[in-house]
Amino acid sequence: MNKEYQVTAGAEVHCELKSNTKMFSDSNNHYGTFANTNINEIDFAYPGVLPTVNSYAVELALKASLAFHCKINKKMHFDRKNYFYPDLPKGYQITQARSPIGVDGYLEIEVDGITKKIGIHDIHMEEDTCKSTHYKDKSFLDFNRNGVPLIEIVSEPDIKSDKEMIAYLEKLRETLLYLNVSDCKIEEGSMRCDVNVSVSKTEILGTRTETKNVGSISSAGMVVMVEAKRQIEELERGNQIREETRRYDEKTNETVLMRVKEVGNDYRYFPEPDIPFLVLEDDYIEKVKSSLEILPDERRKLYLEKGISLVNANKLIQNKQLSDFLLGLEDIDLVIASNLLLGDISAYLNKTEKGLTSTKLTKDKFKELVSKLSSGEITNKVFKEILNDLMETDSSTLEIISSRGIQTISDTSYLTELVDKVLKENEASVLDYKAGKDRALKYLMGQIMKESKGSANPSLVNQLLVEELTKR
Amino acid sequence: MSKYLDKSIIEINELLKKKEIRPIDLVEEAFSRIEENKDLNCFITLNKENAIEEAKKLEDLEVDNLLFGIPIAVKDNISTKDLRTTCASKMLENYVPIYDATVVQKIKDKHMIIIGKTNMDEFAMGSTSRTSYFGAPKNPWNKEKITGGSSGGSAACISQRIVPLALGSDTGGSIRQPASYTGIVGMKPTYGRISRYGLVAFASSLDQIGPMTRNVYENALLLNELVGHDTHDLTSVLRDKEDFTRLLGKDIKGMKIGIPNYFLSDIVSNEIKDKINEMIALLRKKGVTVDFIDIDYIENAVTLYQIIAMGEASSNLARFDGVRFGYSIKNPESVEDLYRKTRKEGFGKEVKRRIMVGSYLLSGENAVTYYNKALQIRDDIRKSFQKAFKTYDLIIGPTTTTVAYNLAQDLDDPIQSFLDDVLVIPVNMAGLPGMNVPIGFNKENMPIGMHIIGNSFEEAKMYQLAAWIERELNLNLIPGGNACE
Repeated sequence: MNKEYQVTAGAEVHCELKSNTKMFSDSNNHYGTFANTNINEIDFAYPGVLPTVNSYAVELALKASLAFHCKINKKMHFDRKNYFYPDLPKGYQITQARSPIGVDGYLEIEVDGITKKIGIHDIHMEEDTCKSTHYKDKSFLDFNRNGVPLIEIVSEPDIKSDKEMIAYLEKLRETLLYLNVSDCKIEEGSMRCDVNVSVSKTEILGTRTETKNVGSISSAGMVVMVEAKRQIEELERGNQIREETRRYDEKTNETVLMRVKEVGNDYRYFPEPDIPFLVLEDDYIEKVKSSLEILPDERRKLYLEKGISLVNANKLIQNKQLSDFLLGLEDIDLVIASNLLLGDISAYLNKTEKGLTSTKLTKDKFKELVSKLSSGEITNKVFKEILNDLMETDSSTLEIISSRGIQTISDTSYLTELVDKVLKENEASVLDYKAGKDRALKYLMGQIMKESKGSANPSLVNQLLVEELTKR
Repeated sequence: MSKYLDKSIIEINELLKKKEIRPIDLVEEAFSRIEENKDLNCFITLNKENAIEEAKKLEDLEVDNLLFGIPIAVKDNISTKDLRTTCASKMLENYVPIYDATVVQKIKDKHMIIIGKTNMDEFAMGSTSRTSYFGAPKNPWNKEKITGGSSGGSAACISQRIVPLALGSDTGGSIRQPASYTGIVGMKPTYGRISRYGLVAFASSLDQIGPMTRNVYENALLLNELVGHDTHDLTSVLRDKEDFTRLLGKDIKGMKIGIPNYFLSDIVSNEIKDKINEMIALLRKKGVTVDFIDIDYIENAVTLYQIIAMGEASSNLARFDGVRFGYSIKNPESVEDLYRKTRKEGFGKEVKRRIMVGSYLLSGENAVTYYNKALQIRDDIRKSFQKAFKTYDLIIGPTTTTVAYNLAQDLDDPIQSFLDDVLVIPVNMAGLPGMNVPIGFNKENMPIGMHIIGNSFEEAKMYQLAAWIERELNLNLIPGGNACE
């Protein structure tokens, strides 16, 4: 790629909000139900109907705005965007053109070890249109999607590469998933990305093209790459870039022209007279702010501090139920804990097709398990043996071990030798124990279990150890 | 033929309670009156079978309120479940709603009986009811004359005593102006008083439903049942329940009334000015203070109205696209073709004119130049009225500049049509309540009306003055009677 050219990209992302009902009517908002069943006279735009505002959808939009550090428009209104299309029953879409709920926000991405802020121009609420399906010379409309609450998140043109685009979209998606604001499923259309790209040799941005409805986050990265390449080639050939709408063809890895943008596309925006100004009180904003989940960035930071590898930290964050399980367990050995969760426990969940919360593994049991593994009182081998019991019964780790009579070494002479050896090697701990430090006993116990590779009978070891220590 | 429908609602109610008459008697009488007055063209759709069935059902119920069993006519831009609602347009000629407007639900809850849907200007766009696809209704006082509009059918059927109660809608005078032309009482309440849910939108920020009746008391009675906050309409207002008849008969001595100079300027015909001046003298004699005042920008109200109403209308009428309901052309070549031809053939000339002007007014920079500016000046008008109401209880003036004119008069002057409403439009711009009360007749025996404007939510005070005038003048308001003074 020609080095003189600077690539500039931005993203407009639509996300369907996870509310039970639609944005401006009380019919259901459920993906995947039979076509044209989630509709009422309002969705159908029958003469005389009026919109109402779904306050839960407003709350979700507010959550997203707060999470992306936006300034909140405390007094806002909705606007009508007027155009004719069969998927738009009213002949206008209710959106927020002039007073979006959130403005001037940002999110942080990290690419190649460098952290960077990507500005968010605004987040606004609007309603989705019908889903159109075309078959031969017929078109079909599904009104189930009509009126589904959306937020549109418009970035600033701060994205400079395909990697940054991917990082931005992944961060966006991860955050919205954590907030339970949206399902963010691109394949189901609950997250839709339009990618804007321009190239320029100077500080002044070049003419941009918009590539609509990109099918995946990685494709969005590809669009930045191939569209920049195409534009540079056009410019090098002496051609000009036109403002146009394009689409991305995954098979050929090319963007394809859909239509040239007409000058002055006129949506005749005006304030929606059927909905009075919406005022968000400070108390309300604060309440929503304090209800926000701990966001991925904060969790990632903690995991890394606790020694979890970046790969595992990201894996945990991608699997919210696992990450949520660790909330409140910050004091245990998170390295062991994450290895358990991402390894055998995940495998178990996959195999049994269960969610973690529907197993019998409580946080307390898990805490005990991790501490036993951490002290060496049980080995990984034992853990693997008792995994099913841990997940399926109410019993604790120790209860399971003793009840199952897991093969442990109970040869007293062998164990006494072991105890002797460990005590000799850890005289400082012996002194600590004598000085009344209980921690020392635990530590010595762990060392012995380790030495036996976890196969010593813990209660027998405990008994022998206390006896030996008393003698000394 | 029985004459129960000439009786007052209180008398009818007594007869119903004593079981001397049944609701079905009222319904049958209403339909025979409709038949006798077919030439007035008041109704677009009759609800005969259902009304009769409903009336029979009521025989088993206790007469639990004053409006029980009373026949009512509903303007044809108010959604009635299973009863055709055309908006007097070819576009909705065969449209049967699947839901009731909130006001319709309310009148059904009080067991009023819907007799039919009344004629009007197409989509309420007009001031003479002549833009109706179903032909214009005629003025009972003189069948050569217009009823006014857009609620012309409702006005005419009250004036002719076909039914005692009717619903109209008022975006820029469409209740008050025809009420004045036909000699009846019509109230446009404060914006937000009555739910608009189910009223086919013309200009959402101005539209308001209101009662049209033979006299003041019955108007207040009907308003009692129509008002209230509605979760389906975010612009409806939550207020304590009140009885709008509570100030009727109370002395008006000491009341302070303002008359904007503009309301008695050269735009008003002399015969109407004279009548208003007589009223001023009468009120002063009674001990009412009447002062001439100025309201800012009131003379610009019509211009502002055109911008706001047509802008909103262009958007509100976009849903009539031939896809889901209403008129739709056969075998369109494309979606574009479907839209173009359906709207070309389905809408009448005036509606298309307003949609086009409205679209232009909202286009690109025009939205800022015209629409947003109009909203600002509109706010100034509202403030100017508010200031006046700090001093005055009520504002009065003539409802119209002339009496009802000839049906044959040229319809192609769009500006004239708006001038018919020049005195009533400022009230919609300010969201205030306004009403017409008849105050007499001109030499040709055509009714003249007085316009009473109140502060927001002070309809009861307006009724107080209107009731005093009504009692003081004691006019015979039955067309064909010896109404000449």
